[in-house]
Amino acid sequence: MFARRARGLLDFTFALLCVWCAYHHTPAGAILRRTGAWAFHTRTTARPLLAYYDGVSGTSVPMPDALPAAMLTRVPTSAEALAWGTHSALKALDPKAREPALALAREEGIAPETLVDPVRGPAATRRLLDALAGDFPSEEARVTAVFAGRVPARFALQRVDAEGGALSLERLAKQLPPGFEGSSVGAAQALALSTALMLGWPVAESAPVTSPFGYRVHPTLRTRRMHTGVDLAVRSGTTVTAVAAGVVRRASEDSVNGRVLVLDHGRGVTTAYCHNSELLVKAGTRVEKGQAIALSGSTGRSTGPHLHYQLELAARPVDPFGFRTALRMADGATEL
Amino acid sequence: MPVHPSSSSEPSSSFLTDVSRFLGAFRWTFMPLGLLALVAVGVHAAADTLDDRLLTAVDRMDSAFDAWVGQFPATASLVDWVSLETRTRLARALALCWELAADLLLALPALGYRETEAARPVEPWQPVTASASASSSWKALLRRCLRRPTPMRWVRPLATTGVVLAGACTVARLVQGTVYLSWRPLFGDVPADWAARGLAVAALCGVSVSLGWRAVLRNLQHADAACDAAGPRRAWSRGLVGCLLVAPLGLAAVWDAAPVLSFLR
Repeated sequence: MFARRARGLLDFTFALLCVWCAYHHTPAGAILRRTGAWAFHTRTTARPLLAYYDGVSGTSVPMPDALPAAMLTRVPTSAEALAWGTHSALKALDPKAREPALALAREEGIAPETLVDPVRGPAATRRLLDALAGDFPSEEARVTAVFAGRVPARFALQRVDAEGGALSLERLAKQLPPGFEGSSVGAAQALALSTALMLGWPVAESAPVTSPFGYRVHPTLRTRRMHTGVDLAVRSGTTVTAVAAGVVRRASEDSVNGRVLVLDHGRGVTTAYCHNSELLVKAGTRVEKGQAIALSGSTGRSTGPHLHYQLELAARPVDPFGFRTALRMADGATEL
Repeated sequence: MPVHPSSSSEPSSSFLTDVSRFLGAFRWTFMPLGLLALVAVGVHAAADTLDDRLLTAVDRMDSAFDAWVGQFPATASLVDWVSLETRTRLARALALCWELAADLLLALPALGYRETEAARPVEPWQPVTASASASSSWKALLRRCLRRPTPMRWVRPLATTGVVLAGACTVARLVQGTVYLSWRPLFGDVPADWAARGLAVAALCGVSVSLGWRAVLRNLQHADAACDAAGPRRAWSRGLVGCLLVAPLGLAAVWDAAPVLSFLR
């Protein structure tokens, strides 16, 4: 009997498969790979350990250049946002990781170098994404196709369909064999950037910004600290709206942030709203874009009525104005 | 001293048999490693499905902590201790620690895996009884699980079963992806697709049959030995924390990380 005669070979093969899989696809394997690279002074392709859970934790999302002029005066369409996010993420990749996107552009008759061109890049990327829309209706699959290639993306999509359940970039990335880790990170960054670009604004766009994002001397502690959001001067009781659809991750009160809400918009994008006088939603609630979620106030560590609005990409705070350059700082900004 | 099975003394019949017999002589090395790797893969597949629930739990705990310390001026500064942006990293780090702890609990016993040559009856009509391994056979272990049940005797092997199933599915998924994407340029789309599907099912079954049951048996043996060593009074509490740690992972592995039927669609 074959199985009996080949038992040693079969057991060896299956054990080897498991070791290969653990080496490439577990944090424990990544620790081994990093240790090996450190010991032998070689480079490793192991991702940051925390990125083994959601794809982007522990990695950084590239901060994009200034937005194109067309996007300064209005919220872009989802196709424009996706193209811009993909273009920005492509630019941040090393040349080797860009190869699938460049090959795909060649296939579609688009000059590959235009994809990363600062001026023509967003339009060229949009043409490429439009060409893929027929085969890949969902944005997650389309972006995967750009960063991993058409065939791997189609394979991943078929596998996710076979498994059933909701489609997500994380599930698509899981289907791809070793060697596609960089593509998955690139795709996650593109989706995070495009989602951030589609965000609305939590209060009237005319609300003056009294303290911008960045280092400042804290108004009550009198120490130099990072201000991880923007302070928008609004009267107490002003309605605060959700900047995009999402799930309330946190609705709580403390002596620093006051009454605070944190919304998870998916794709590695979260927003926080602090110092409210009243919270209108509870943790776990699903909210829609524009829905009233809180009334602003001056609770917590605050010197006057304002809304502290914070945007995080891949768990790192970024300047919300990087995604809404149409807004301008109020003259004579004061600290709150 | 464990007995390492040596190569059989049967005469060589083919190249395949020779290679198999040669590799078989190293089973004491690669089988424990394979078991360890399979459990590690399964534990990660399960932990990966729990990370968002962990994030929700961290958020709730941090809210409660902030509300409590914020009540007193002396401790109010602790609210900034876990800032809004560090919570996600904290939740992912907790998932990593949970996974590595489960690896230690479920995968490390695999390193104690040993094989002995199968005992053969001296006379055809007289089966060998009371052999050295009889006390650690499936039958004997299950009997003790039923007669002297403890959390460790039940939870560890059951969690290992779930984790091993999830691990086998992950290996099969990777085999399918690797075969399809690397063979497609050589053999075309349809042959590569069928080969990838066939090999994925073979990997799923092969890993389960070759390594899966051994991992479960090894954990059962380890749990049984630990409970025996603890004595009848302390056996119930022996390894209780570890059981609480691996039980959610075992459930998540079966519910969310073992899409067995997807390989047949």
